[in-house]
Amino acid sequence: MRLSEQRIPQVRPRWKRLEPAVWLLVAPLLLFLLLTLGFPLLANLFYSLTDLSFRNLRSPDLTGFGNFASALRDPVFWGGLGFSLRFALAATFFEVLLGLLMALAFQPILERHRPLLALLLLPMMVAPALLGTMYRLILNDFIGVVPDLAQRLGLFVNFLTPPLVVPTLVAIEVLQWTPFALLILYTALQAIPGELHEAAKVDGANSWQQLRFVTLPLLVPALAITALIRFIDSFRVFDHIMVLTGGGPGTSTTSISIYIYLQFFRNDELGTAIAASLFLLLLALVPLFISMRVALREWGRA
Amino acid sequence: MRKTFAPLEALRWTFFVLVVVVFNFPLLFTAATSLKTTPQITAKVWLFAPTLEHYLKIFTDRSLDFPRYLLNSISISLGGTLIAVAVTLPAAYAIVRFGLGRGNLLPLITNLRAVPLIIFAIPFYLMFQTVGLLDTRTGLAIIAAVINVPLALILLVGFIQDFPPEIEEAARVDGAGTLGVFRHIIVPLAIPVLVAVSILSFIYSWNEYLFGLILTTKNAIPVTVGSALFITSWGVRWGEIAAAMTVSALPPLVLGMFGYRYLARALVAGAVKG
Repeated sequence: MRLSEQRIPQVRPRWKRLEPAVWLLVAPLLLFLLLTLGFPLLANLFYSLTDLSFRNLRSPDLTGFGNFASALRDPVFWGGLGFSLRFALAATFFEVLLGLLMALAFQPILERHRPLLALLLLPMMVAPALLGTMYRLILNDFIGVVPDLAQRLGLFVNFLTPPLVVPTLVAIEVLQWTPFALLILYTALQAIPGELHEAAKVDGANSWQQLRFVTLPLLVPALAITALIRFIDSFRVFDHIMVLTGGGPGTSTTSISIYIYLQFFRNDELGTAIAASLFLLLLALVPLFISMRVALREWGRA
Repeated sequence: MRKTFAPLEALRWTFFVLVVVVFNFPLLFTAATSLKTTPQITAKVWLFAPTLEHYLKIFTDRSLDFPRYLLNSISISLGGTLIAVAVTLPAAYAIVRFGLGRGNLLPLITNLRAVPLIIFAIPFYLMFQTVGLLDTRTGLAIIAAVINVPLALILLVGFIQDFPPEIEEAARVDGAGTLGVFRHIIVPLAIPVLVAVSILSFIYSWNEYLFGLILTTKNAIPVTVGSALFITSWGVRWGEIAAAMTVSALPPLVLGMFGYRYLARALVAGAVKG
């Protein structure tokens, strides 16, 4: 008797014992997600197998896997993936590095004057599209200060054409999102108990050794999560590139998001665009899987 | 002691001020440009007597459409926030108290950020075209809600976990059912939390650009798309562009001052503790 009582919860999934009212609480969210994410995904799968274009939006014909083949054969698709990858790696590297340096350097200031932290976070509150447009003013030849300063130094350069355009776009991403890295790393720094530093000091560690053997090892999880979030966000970059270069000149700044956008809305290559976006979804499952593992561990512990 | 550290402190502060100025330079430059007269803008002067003429212009000149963009962004952000909160609050309660979806739904939703939004742009365009939601505020409010659901759910789950269960148990003893407890205990308790969630959700909705670009053509254009349009359609009217951008950037900046504390908590979602 006792044995079977213990066994029942293990055999029967927990949710089967829940009262209907609990399902009612979750129903709006489930319904909303099915409609807004599930349905579009299915539609994507279907349309990827058709000859969809703006001329036959209502009645596309099934054509098989041709769209996937033409996406894979398009060098611009691969170029877009490559651009996004390099862009995200470069931006993430500098954001985490600068964020870490700033968190370490400014910790004493911020602990005494906490409201000052907000000043450092302002850039990430601004819409990337707006910030991009603001940089467009700054970099403008007629009214911008940056070309003006460069010219006074004898440099006649255009920041929005190769070879400078990609570094410029990375720099803008870094200037907007380093505050994000700073915020997480500073929060993590504060969570390190002061006794650890005291103990290290008693053991004769100098400040460099404290940083190297106490602070940095404890920051590793925060550094990893910052890098992961920033990489994912930068990989899908769209807004500020769109307002600054529109993916050009040529295809030199065409990220994968911009590639899909242009295929769809400029080139009327709807099928290719959808096929490319499904490949992108497959790729996105990798970080999704990693961060789900991380999140599961976190929520499970809570 | 103090004396030996003074140079280091001075260096620290100098570096701090430098970083603040460099990172916020686009905001400062745009705000300054918006307050200059047009000749002052092209002459690139650093000192000037501020003028509000460009601000007057963007709000009164009917050909510029800026007030409409602003109104669109306000209603889209409010609507998106409202929907996101309405669907996530009951779900968050069910997840925390009854464990429904804790192992699958919760991690799946909170990690939706890994999926590039562009993947959903095309089906949304087709879907909205079929049901007549293209170029409407309602349509963009729904999108804003989709974008905000993960963040809202993370925050609400985190906060509800901290609610003491004793109050609910007392209500149950008095005969309240699950839905009754939710309505009369959880919803009132959650109001301060909802303020925080709404602030962040409003910022995210306001800053959205991709779907605004794809799904609007005229009537529902939000400020993020509208301000970028000005550059081509207004030619060299830099003052108006700068004024429009300053106004557009202001609401999230002001809200961000209150919201950044919660932002740290939401973004990190426990990762820092480990």
